[in-house]
Amino acid sequence: MIEAKGVCLKYPEGTMALQNINLQIEHGELVYITGPSGSGKTSLLKLFMGVEHPTAGTLRVLGQPIMKGQAMEIRRLRKLIGPVFQEFRLIKGRTALENVMLGMRFLDVSHRSIRKDAHNALVKVGLEQKVLSLVEHLSWGECQRVAIARAVARKPALIIADEPTGNLDKDNAMNILALLNSFKDNKTTVIITTHATHLIEGEKAAGHISMDKGNMSWERLG
Amino acid sequence: MKNILYNTGYFLREVKTIIRINLLSNVFSLLSTGLIFFILAMVISGWWVSSQVIETIQGEAEVNVYFKEGLDKAGSIKLVEGIKGIAGVREARLVDEAEAYSRMEEILGKEAHVLAYFDDNPFSPFIEVKIQIDEIGAILKELEFMTGIEHVRDNREVLERLRSIAGVLRVLGYLVVTAVGISTMVIISHIIRMGIYDNREQINTLRLMGAPEAFIGFPFMLEGLLLTLGGGAIAAAMSVFSLKYLYAQMAGPLPFIPLTPLGTMTSQLVILVMSISAALGIAGGFFGLSSAKSS
Repeated sequence: MIEAKGVCLKYPEGTMALQNINLQIEHGELVYITGPSGSGKTSLLKLFMGVEHPTAGTLRVLGQPIMKGQAMEIRRLRKLIGPVFQEFRLIKGRTALENVMLGMRFLDVSHRSIRKDAHNALVKVGLEQKVLSLVEHLSWGECQRVAIARAVARKPALIIADEPTGNLDKDNAMNILALLNSFKDNKTTVIITTHATHLIEGEKAAGHISMDKGNMSWERLG
Repeated sequence: MKNILYNTGYFLREVKTIIRINLLSNVFSLLSTGLIFFILAMVISGWWVSSQVIETIQGEAEVNVYFKEGLDKAGSIKLVEGIKGIAGVREARLVDEAEAYSRMEEILGKEAHVLAYFDDNPFSPFIEVKIQIDEIGAILKELEFMTGIEHVRDNREVLERLRSIAGVLRVLGYLVVTAVGISTMVIISHIIRMGIYDNREQINTLRLMGAPEAFIGFPFMLEGLLLTLGGGAIAAAMSVFSLKYLYAQMAGPLPFIPLTPLGTMTSQLVILVMSISAALGIAGGFFGLSSAKSS
């Protein structure tokens, strides 16, 4: 699923964001990535999504090597990923349903089922009453749920959620984590980053990656 | 392609949103594109009319060959046949004294009574030679060497001037078409770049979700196309209105100008302007998208 060997990431201005990352995440696993702000969590996710390329080492995500000159292949890879972005990246002026549908329009799925699947995804995240609401009229937590619905409606092999609990109170944060956890199955791997380590205490995860200043420690739990 | 067809409704809604975000700028672009296309349409119609006038006049290009007085009827017919054999001569026929007289009566019209003051017919027979204007030099040279010819009356200066006017108009037309093409492309590509800048967050999100560039760029292309087609439609409407007015103004005082029928002129002009606007919209869209991508 994801295999990293000696991966480093150095930004052009000279910042060493990640150093010697070695990990192996299997299909159907739930993995938490924790660490303080600036520890390299988002950089690691950027590598997984092919936004950045390793400056050293090798990285394969869903079998696809992440390296320069693979734009087409990385675009295809991204179609298999359900991203939940830190600031949601929902499209303003569109309803929750339209936002979810937008993430599916260019996938190789039947166009007749797009609306139905998008609606079902919103129902799954508990937003059946807000399907036709404009996203700017939704609360922070509801926007987070729309973002999750957009990710899962794509039936991805890998869900990547970057700080999905940020700006949420503890109850809502726990609900979001439980919701993301519920999408993990044999086919879908879920990777969640959070700086709130207290939220994942006692969670049944397969692995826990702890980041600090670009270095990682990998604890396999499952 | 299948994706684009399936998502037509989505793309149209996107275009509506993109236009709404920059409404004022889009309205001004539409109007300025319309004005540019209107100037183009007027130049093209002027070009067509002048070309037709010149073509008609050139079609009437002729020289008159006067032969020696002593030449009898058989000799003059032989001379006509000889002239017909010259390359570039379209037609040659003998105009006798009587026909020359009646032609002058026709030209003089109400003043024809002055001809009655002559005791005899004052006009000489001549050979009317219709020619291809481009061959005038060679034809005149050949005529010089033929026996029995007294002199040749040609209107070479006028014909040459007409030919140079046609050339200038052609160059002017090309220049205007080029200027309109470049300015329309610049306007459209600028609008598209602006749209891309305003929607950069959405574009980045789509890219992160694996959307193909064609899917992301198509609404912007469509926006450019709709703007130029809208501008073309405005220009076409203004041109039809202007041509109707100009034709009405020219029909009275300038009846001798051979104008293309108004219906034919306007329909050809509308088709041409709409085709050019569509082509420039697509070209401007590609230009805008590629320049936005590279920057």
